[in-house]
Amino acid sequence: MNARAVAAWVAACILIVLFTTNPIYKTLVLAAAFTALAAGVGLRRMRGVLIGVALIALFATLLNFVSAHLGSTVLFSLPAQVPAVGGPYTLEALVFGATGGITIAAAILSAAPFSMLLASHEVIDALPAGLSRTGTAIAASLNLVPAVATSFAEVNEAQRLRGWRPRGPRSWAEIVVPVVLTSVEGSIQLAESMEARGFGSGPRTTFTRARIRWRDWILIAAASTSVALFLVSHAAGWASDWYPYPTLSIPALDARPLAACLLLFAPALLWRSRS
Amino acid sequence: MAVAKLERLTYWYPGAPEPALRDACLQVEEGLTVVAGPSGGGKSTLLRVFNGLVPHFHGGRIAGSARVFDSDITSTPTRELARSVGFVFQDPELQTVYDVVDREVAFGPENMGLPRREISDRVEEALNAAGIALLAARTVRTLSGGERQRVALASALAMRPRLVVLDEPTSQLDPRGAEIMLAAATSLVARGRSVVIAEHRLERLMPSARAMVVVDGGRVEGVDPGSWRRPPASGRVPRNAPPGGEVWSLAAATAAFGDRVVLAGVDLSGRSGEVVALCGPNGGGKTTLLRLIAGALAPLAGRVERRPVRIAYLPQNPTAMLHRPTVRAEVAMTLDRSREHDRPEAILEELGLTAVAGRYPRDLSSGERQRAALAAVLPGRPGLVLLDEPTRGMDAAARNALVGLVARLRDQGAAVVLATHDAELRAALADRVIEVADGSVSETVPEAASR
Repeated sequence: MNARAVAAWVAACILIVLFTTNPIYKTLVLAAAFTALAAGVGLRRMRGVLIGVALIALFATLLNFVSAHLGSTVLFSLPAQVPAVGGPYTLEALVFGATGGITIAAAILSAAPFSMLLASHEVIDALPAGLSRTGTAIAASLNLVPAVATSFAEVNEAQRLRGWRPRGPRSWAEIVVPVVLTSVEGSIQLAESMEARGFGSGPRTTFTRARIRWRDWILIAAASTSVALFLVSHAAGWASDWYPYPTLSIPALDARPLAACLLLFAPALLWRSRS
Repeated sequence: MAVAKLERLTYWYPGAPEPALRDACLQVEEGLTVVAGPSGGGKSTLLRVFNGLVPHFHGGRIAGSARVFDSDITSTPTRELARSVGFVFQDPELQTVYDVVDREVAFGPENMGLPRREISDRVEEALNAAGIALLAARTVRTLSGGERQRVALASALAMRPRLVVLDEPTSQLDPRGAEIMLAAATSLVARGRSVVIAEHRLERLMPSARAMVVVDGGRVEGVDPGSWRRPPASGRVPRNAPPGGEVWSLAAATAAFGDRVVLAGVDLSGRSGEVVALCGPNGGGKTTLLRLIAGALAPLAGRVERRPVRIAYLPQNPTAMLHRPTVRAEVAMTLDRSREHDRPEAILEELGLTAVAGRYPRDLSSGERQRAALAAVLPGRPGLVLLDEPTRGMDAAARNALVGLVARLRDQGAAVVLATHDAELRAALADRVIEVADGSVSETVPEAASR
C-alpha cells in the first residue's frame, strides 16, 4: 500500500464530501470510507473510531436540531421563553443536522487510513525530499502521543494513592503539571537521541523506496477520475445542490455524480487487512 | 591511541551555581572504559561531553578543552560528532523515532544522506552486531525492554562509530535483558570499537575493562580496574518481631492489562511486619499484582481484600509524579495528606537526600530522583508498602539506605511488597519470594535462606 495512493483517495473523498451538499452523495462517500477502512484494518480495530465518529456525528445532528428553529415541518415545540432551546423543532433542521454529521463522519473516516493503515515511515517515505526532515520530526513527535496518555494514567493512579482527590479545577494541577513535565522531558530525551544520530546534519536519504504497485495505480486512477467526474458533473448541473429549508425535499440524483462516488469504493476491492 | 582527551574541563548547566564537572582531566584509550560513581555525581554529564550533547544540546558554560579523535568538542556540533561517536541512553522507550526495527536502525544513516544500498548494508551489519537480526521487521512497541535497548544499540552502531558511549543501558531491564545487553556492548570491543559505559552493577563488566573512571561530585578520577572490588552486600537485616496479622489477601484473583489476562486465579496474602518480594520476567505480571493489592486495579474475577491502612505505593515510573518545587515539599505533601506530623528531614536524611532537599526534584539525576520519589511516598507510618522496582538506577550506598528504611517500616508493622529484579534486595529483606510469570504465581526459597 503506497501512501501517495492512499493520499490521493483520501483527498478525493474529502473534496467530494465537502464540495457537495447532496446527502445521498455524502452518504455514499461515508459508505466508501467505511468499507475501505473495514477492508484495510478490519471491523474489530475500527470499533473505537466508529464509536467516536458516531458520537461526533450525533452531536452535530442534535446541535443543529436544537439551535436551528427553521423549516416548515414542526415536530414539536418548546416555549419560546426557554432560553437557548425554546422554539419549534423541525424535521428540516434534523435532516440538515444529520447531513452535517455525515459530512464530519465521512471526513474523519476517510482520513483514518493515514493513522490506522500506514506506518509513520510509510508516510514519511511518500513525502517530497524537501519535506523529509519536517515529516520525520512530526512522526517522531506523534510517537510521543501514546506516552502522554500512559503518563496521565500513571500519574493519576500514583497521586490518588498518595491521597489526592479531585476537588475543583485547581486540584487537577497536581495531575496535569506532572504529566506535562514528563511529556516535555520525554520530548527532550527524544530530541537528544535524534541529535545524537545526526538528525539535521544535511540532506536526508531514505532506507526504503515507496514503491507504487499496480493496485496503487488503480487507486490513483479511480480517485482522480472520481474527482474529475464529480467536478464536471457539478459544473454541468448534473450534481445539483440541495437545501432542506424551508420545506424538505428529496435530493436529486444523477448517474454521473453517482458513478463518481461509486469509484471511491475501489479500496474495498484493492486493500487487504493489515491487522 | 587516545580516543578522547579532556583537559581541565569544567561545565555548568544553564543557571546552575555549581559546575557539574570540575577540572576534569581524562584520557580515554581504546578498549572498554567503565564509568562508575554515585548517583548525581556527574556520570551522565561526562558521557554527554563525548558526543557534544554537553554543551551543544544542553547549553550552559564550558571551560577547558575536550577532543574526541580529531574533533574539538566545543566547536563541533553533535550532529557531526555523531559520525564517530554513537550514544545509547538509559530509557529505551524514549529514543525511538520510527515504528519498525530496521527503519529505526536506518535513521542515523538516513541522516548522513547515504545511498540506499549502503544504508541497507549498515542496517544488516548493525542488527547482527547487536544480536537482533531476527527482529528486523518487528514493530518496536511489541519488543521487550531488553530488545528495545539492543535496537538502540544497533541504531548507534549503524553510524559505524569508532566510539560507542552507553549511559546506564541496563537500568530499565530485567536481569536476562541486562545480561544480553552487556554481552552485546562488550563484544563491540572485540570488533575493534572503543566503548565507554556507565553502570552501577559493575561485576559483569570489570573482567573486560581496560580502564575505569570514577565520577563523584563532578570530579573525574581514573582508577586501576584491577583494584575494583565488589561492594559488600548489605546482608540480611534481622527483624525485631515476628510477622503479625493479615493485611492484604487475594482470593482467586484474575486481572488483565488491556485485552490480555495477566494474572489468572491468584491466591496470595501478606501480613504486617512481613516483606514479600515479587520476581519474574518483565511483562510477567508483577506490576499488575502490585496494582491489584493497592486497589488501583479492580480484579476481573475473584476477591482482593486489605485492611484500612495507609498505602505507600511507588509506581514503575515514580519520577513522573514529582511536581513540587523541592524534594522537601514532596515529602511534606504526603505527610500533610496522611495527617502525620513527622519531620520531612528524617526520611530525607535516611535516604541520603539532605543535600538536595531544597532542590527541584526534576533537576536531579535519575538515581537521585528515584530516591526522592521513595522519600515522597514512604514518610510517616504507612501500613501497606508497595514498591515497584525501588532500586532502579541506584548505587550500592543508596540501595543499602533503602534496605534500612524498608526494614524500619517492616519493624513498625507495615506489610511490605517489593516487585524487584534485584537479588541483593530480596536477599536482604524478603521473608517470602513469589515468582510471577505467565499469569500465575509460585513461591520460591528466598535467596538469603538458600545461601
